[in-house]
Amino acid sequence: MDYLAISNLPIFWLLAGITVVVSAVQTILYVRQANKATKECHLDPQLPKQAFKIGLISAIGPACGVFIVMVGLMSAIGGPIAWLRLSIIGAAATELSAATMGATAAGVELGGEGYTLSVLAVSWFAMALNGAGWLVFTGVATPGLEKLRDKMSGGDMGWLAVMSAACSIGIFGYLNANSMVKAGSLAVGPTIAILSGALSMMAIGRFVVPKHPKLAEYSLGIAMIVGIACAILYESIAA
Amino acid sequence: MENNYMSTWKKNSIRIGTPTNLLAAFTAFIPVIYLCTAYDCWPDPSIVLSAWGLTALSFGAFYIVEPVSYYASLGMSGTYLSFLSGNIGNMRVPCAALALDVTKSEAGTIQAEVVSTMAICGSIITNLIATTSAALVGSAVVAVLPAFINKGLQTYASAAIFGATFGNFALKKPKLAVFGLGIPLICKLFIPIPAWLVIVCSVFGTVGIARLFYTAEAKKAGK
Repeated sequence: MDYLAISNLPIFWLLAGITVVVSAVQTILYVRQANKATKECHLDPQLPKQAFKIGLISAIGPACGVFIVMVGLMSAIGGPIAWLRLSIIGAAATELSAATMGATAAGVELGGEGYTLSVLAVSWFAMALNGAGWLVFTGVATPGLEKLRDKMSGGDMGWLAVMSAACSIGIFGYLNANSMVKAGSLAVGPTIAILSGALSMMAIGRFVVPKHPKLAEYSLGIAMIVGIACAILYESIAA
Repeated sequence: MENNYMSTWKKNSIRIGTPTNLLAAFTAFIPVIYLCTAYDCWPDPSIVLSAWGLTALSFGAFYIVEPVSYYASLGMSGTYLSFLSGNIGNMRVPCAALALDVTKSEAGTIQAEVVSTMAICGSIITNLIATTSAALVGSAVVAVLPAFINKGLQTYASAAIFGATFGNFALKKPKLAVFGLGIPLICKLFIPIPAWLVIVCSVFGTVGIARLFYTAEAKKAGK
């Protein structure tokens, strides 16, 4: 039996499912905690429901991307491990790199000749060890991060709000720049997706939401579709 | 009431988050341990170590830089949830930010914690449905979809989401947005530094400039 047939055996779906269940259980526990806090702090009971719905709907767009990427990943590392990795910390590019590094360490190519079961095991180990880095750090150090935030804000709530926004702007500035610049020069397709996504989000926020507040919940999804459509349009014109 | 409850909230968040994140770090090894045991294909430990070394070289700095940088946007429970469930930049933060925006919740309040936690939980459910259905019917669906839709989602979905979320922040803080995008762009184009250092420059540079604006405005208001 070749390595891919073995990595797709039912037993591995079951074993990968354990970690997926841990993530699902954590989600349920936090939903319970948020509902309890809503009651005890006398917040509007509609609030958690509305927020949950916004998360559920806004994630549909990016989740479609995850769906497609996962199908690609399944053919490289097998279905169960792709499912496990993309249901928890993993992003497809990170996992694929880790799996490839596993193969590299063993001196062969991912899925190429000499990619035996024991090399497959190295790839799987590499992905699990790499993912554990984030999980162990957040598992252990998150209370420390809270203290760091408190220290940086110095108890000034006005500054805390500005600082949080500045952190997000810095992070998304980086994520945008990282997609816009590939190998030292500007990548036009992703740049168009980013700019048209940003502009349509701004237009929706400025002109549409004040008149139709309900649409705010769908703004991210709409902006994503516009961004993708513009990039594809550019590609077909340029081709 | 709210302030008192915040410490209870944090205590409970740690009680849920710490064991589940550590548990997941461990359970993620179960399939590979079974594989090696059942098929007797234990690899040479030195090869596993060198593979680990390679991944740590590429990603090690991110284990720390990412949680630190995302913390202010995610909050405590959001950090545990997001780093267990992944897809942070393209899914968790955009969903949490939009929900905070729509419900007009201020950072640092219990309402903001509840709202971002629930939005992230909602997005995790969507993600679990997506990965599970990809596992069940993925190949069949991809075969049926037109190629341009597959390519568009695969190549541009993340970029469009990054842009849209940035645009939403830029509406509120246009001056900061110029620096937030400018700093990493200049780093990426002209200064050859590793990716994790670009994140550090981008996040802390933007926070530094925000501080300058904030104190300048406070001074002006004081006068």
